[in-house]
Amino acid sequence: MVPWRSLVRGAMFVVVALALALPAVTHAQPRTGGELVLVSTEEPDTLDAQKTGTAATGLLMRYLGDTLVTKDLKGNFTAALARSWTASRDGLTWTFQLRTDVKFHDGTPLTAEAVKASIERALAPETKSPIAGALFGPVAGVTASGPSTLQIRLKQPFAPFLDNLTDPRAMILSPQAVRTLGDRFGRSPVGTGPFKFQEWRSADRIIFARNPDYRWAPAYAHAGPPFVDRIVVRIMPESAAQVAAFERGEISVLSVPPTDVRRLRATNKYPFFSFLRKGVGLFMEFNVTKEPFSDIRVRRAMNHAIEKNSVLQIGLEGLGEIAHGPLPPSIWGYWDGIADYAPKYDPARAKALLAEAGWRQRSTGGALEKDGKPFSFVLFAAPIDTWRRSAQIVQAQLRAYGVAMEIQTFEFGTLLSKLRAGEHTAEFMGYTYTSPDIVQVWFHSSNIGTGLTFTHNKDPKLDAMIDASRRETDQTKRLALYRDIQKYIVDQALWVPLWTNTNYVAVQPNVDGAKIHPDGFVVLNDASLK
Amino acid sequence: MRAFLVRRLFLLVPTVLGVTLATFLMLHLTPGDPVTIMLGEFASAADVARLRVELGLDRPLPVQYVKFLARALRGDLGTSIRSRRPVAEEIAERLPPTMQLALAAEVLAVGVGIPAGVAAATARIPAVDSTVVAVTLVGLSMPTFWSGLLLILLFSLTLGWLPITESQGLRALILPAVTLAAPAAAVLARVTRASVLEVLRQDYVRTARAKGVVERVVIYRHALRNALIPVLTVAALQFAGLVAGAVIVESVFARPGLGRLAVTAILSRDFPLAQGIVLVVATMYVFVNVGVDVVYGILDPRIRYR
Repeated sequence: MVPWRSLVRGAMFVVVALALALPAVTHAQPRTGGELVLVSTEEPDTLDAQKTGTAATGLLMRYLGDTLVTKDLKGNFTAALARSWTASRDGLTWTFQLRTDVKFHDGTPLTAEAVKASIERALAPETKSPIAGALFGPVAGVTASGPSTLQIRLKQPFAPFLDNLTDPRAMILSPQAVRTLGDRFGRSPVGTGPFKFQEWRSADRIIFARNPDYRWAPAYAHAGPPFVDRIVVRIMPESAAQVAAFERGEISVLSVPPTDVRRLRATNKYPFFSFLRKGVGLFMEFNVTKEPFSDIRVRRAMNHAIEKNSVLQIGLEGLGEIAHGPLPPSIWGYWDGIADYAPKYDPARAKALLAEAGWRQRSTGGALEKDGKPFSFVLFAAPIDTWRRSAQIVQAQLRAYGVAMEIQTFEFGTLLSKLRAGEHTAEFMGYTYTSPDIVQVWFHSSNIGTGLTFTHNKDPKLDAMIDASRRETDQTKRLALYRDIQKYIVDQALWVPLWTNTNYVAVQPNVDGAKIHPDGFVVLNDASLK
Repeated sequence: MRAFLVRRLFLLVPTVLGVTLATFLMLHLTPGDPVTIMLGEFASAADVARLRVELGLDRPLPVQYVKFLARALRGDLGTSIRSRRPVAEEIAERLPPTMQLALAAEVLAVGVGIPAGVAAATARIPAVDSTVVAVTLVGLSMPTFWSGLLLILLFSLTLGWLPITESQGLRALILPAVTLAAPAAAVLARVTRASVLEVLRQDYVRTARAKGVVERVVIYRHALRNALIPVLTVAALQFAGLVAGAVIVESVFARPGLGRLAVTAILSRDFPLAQGIVLVVATMYVFVNVGVDVVYGILDPRIRYR
């Protein structure tokens, strides 16, 4: 019989052994050192997060800075510089509890006063902020109500507030560095991120060095400093040269141009990651103030008439997903019932709806006619390859119903001003956005003529639904509101959503631990070289 | 000579005025403005209006142009809208790599183009002439964005001899310089060939040959020196063209330089920066032209300026 004491001792031994073995197995310390080379097509305008107008800068700020709140790899809000946050019931006062162990790259501590100064700089007119200032919304005031308690008061409820706080351009800058560096801050930025700014050689490369003091990473990465010594961002405008440099092993992580996705994947040499674009890549939108799309039956008929899979396969070479509603699965608030809810490809139903609306074919294969007028319209589009190919497929599909669609392309700026003025009958459009509040941008009647409500649709019911979604701060209730909005927009058949593209990222086989964030950047905190 | 130089330098004023006015108008008349490009399509009308005022873009065009000129006269090219850095600083940073590339390409073009042209004109074997003519045709017709990529694929990817992402040092200069030089060398070879053939038909060449001068001396001392006048004109103007042509080569090879800066400035409608670059390049053109005129006088004592 085994004595009880030795059983306990034996069990303890097992526990100790496990405790010793576990770190060795699951947390095998990655190799430190080395550098990762990224590539950017566009050169940043400035590395001052509050003064930038380029997307390239936003991506780099993910490494250089932290925001108050961020999103995890599933797209849910998670703590960053703020440990926690609460909103008042009216959605006007937001209180953030800040971490107390954070230091800027210049050694100064992150306090509520520092965060207040950083946000106030973004809002100040003399900063001339293209994007960062607007991210914080209608701010009435910022107060540091304790050493690590920050309050932001808003003039009116602002639904995308939390989403916007996760934007890299809302990162918190060192107020002391801003003061001492002045105009030079944009070429030597100081934040709190896992990497510090080291050097910027114009039109050539930007170099970031590991921040050895970093220990406040969001929960989706290990808390401590990154494993690699440096990130080098090579600026290369020509995508074919980028691909060649990647294949030669000179670049560690590459956002693969669509033309090279199939070939590079077929080599089976590189781990591939993909993420769905945050936005509907292509949809056909109707101007509801103009014949024939002023008739909801005709709009619904279009939704049944177009076979989207061919458009996706030929227009986008299959590198994406079919779209069903105004939001893609990659944006928080997407209702996953929409695929079943939305109208399906059904030629018979399309013909019946058209007939109901008074559009009839005189002879089989002839043009659709109503009161002696043929069914013909012009589709406005931008000169984008994938759009042009998709338009040609739609054109061919509609021709089978006796609908004559003509395609006209305009340079993007010109196209937008024509759509604002309502010169179109229907158009092709696409978007990229971070929050479901995008429905306000596309559908609220207050944006007719000035914003992007190119449907020119004045619908008090839809406006009220959108207004309610913007006032609500309870996330569960917001989800329900956005579900109803998606259903309503599909019911009204204001769009024919077509597809959303998938972006592909290839990584060198010697890179370990790189992760793709759904917001479209590569998390490098855990990355190391084999 | 001095009066000539002074007059030529005075011509700089209307040239530069004309060029800046033309770019100013072209930039402002093409659709799109820097603010909407910066803010993107989701920007509110209020934000667009605010930034326009803050950047001084709400003022009438003539006022903006005159302000630009007044500042340029004092040597101040203004501030870039995109990067918010002084335009002069941006240009000063980007000019050296472009000059380096253009010079390397010019040396290559002259070093290859002129001997090839002479060889084609004087070769006893017809195959030499037809080969040079054929090769120059290829060199001329290949667009640099295409030939540049082919060179990268061959020398960097397939053979693995040269790096792609390096941007400093001689190794990084080889492929871009060859790409940029190829069409220029082809033009030089053709001009040299035609010019040498023409001179070889002149009486003094026949005289030289008749008095028994060695053929090499006939060609290099008697013929080539005279044949070089038109070649020199082309080569000098090419240099200015190489600086401008660097736009594409710099993009393909991701080299820092003035060309890429110009492209960014135009695409983002960065008016002050685009104007500044045009001003600098136009001034350079004028100076190169004056320089060519001066060299003419040295090469051909019959040319005198008053």
